[in-house]
Amino acid sequence: MSEEQITKKIIDILRGYVKDSALLEKATPKTHILKDLRVNSARLVDIIIKCEDVFGTMIDDDEADRIATIGDAVLLIQQKAA
Amino acid sequence: MEKRERFLLGLQYVLGRIAVLATAPLCFLFVRLMGYRIRDLKRIRNEVKRMYREHEGPWLVCPNHLTLIDSFVISYGMASLADHILHFRRVPWNLPERKNFQQNPFIALLCYLLKCLPVDRGGSREGLHRLLEKCCRVLDWGQGLMIFSEGGRSHSGRVNRENFSYGVGRFIDKCNRCRVMLVYLRGDGQETYGTMPRFGERFTITAEVFDPGRANGGGLRVQREYARRIVERLAALEDACFASRG
Repeated sequence: MSEEQITKKIIDILRGYVKDSALLEKATPKTHILKDLRVNSARLVDIIIKCEDVFGTMIDDDEADRIATIGDAVLLIQQKAA
Repeated sequence: MEKRERFLLGLQYVLGRIAVLATAPLCFLFVRLMGYRIRDLKRIRNEVKRMYREHEGPWLVCPNHLTLIDSFVISYGMASLADHILHFRRVPWNLPERKNFQQNPFIALLCYLLKCLPVDRGGSREGLHRLLEKCCRVLDWGQGLMIFSEGGRSHSGRVNRENFSYGVGRFIDKCNRCRVMLVYLRGDGQETYGTMPRFGERFTITAEVFDPGRANGGGLRVQREYARRIVERLAALEDACFASRG
């Protein structure tokens, strides 16, 4: 799966958790999930679990702790898929 | 955890242990001056004492959350002044939000001596990671950690079953020796959340040992499940509390 496809899927997942959808329109890999998209840390866990389901992978605590931006999530999924 | 951090955490405990001779009476005096009363106080303290006799620690103390001084009132309700001084290690560590108490140097010092580990909400992941390491460390020491399962004060005034935090699940998952003590605290006049309970408030406290069982799966999914079970049980204690009021 290409980086672009993973990014698109992650943004689709985020739609279910970001209250202000306008924030997602201008999202880039550098967009901070907690600060820029105003998602709280518990919902970030929900997002990561959803990513596990969608991408068929397992993300442990340490890996989850490293996810701050959309780009971090994309990179992690890419590494997992490799 | 770095050696320096470990040393500083140990130092905080030792200083708190020495200072408890002054801080505990001060806290109890504050409760008296505010006119706070707790129903069946003696029975609750005996119950908690029995729990500690059965399992010295570590404990995860998980209360509901309505005001900024809940942990303070709960600590008063759980043990007598003498027990605070004689069994300081049983006083649970707390995780207050830094911005709520660090503007006032006196309160900041008091919190430091009363086993508080400040949390920076929305802070860096590294900071959070360091805090989690400290929490795991105090649990390794066999001490207690008070953690508000909802992750913040419940704005509706009722236990938040939908939008709660999963942090408590992480500790249950990581620390096999931990037992969970659920505490439900409610003042007669507390309709919603606030900064402080009203003057002369009369509280009801329920404390029980809770076995979250074993959750299937792994990783974050398990942590979320443990947190959900705790919040559901706290909500049931709340329902029972309201039902008993008639």
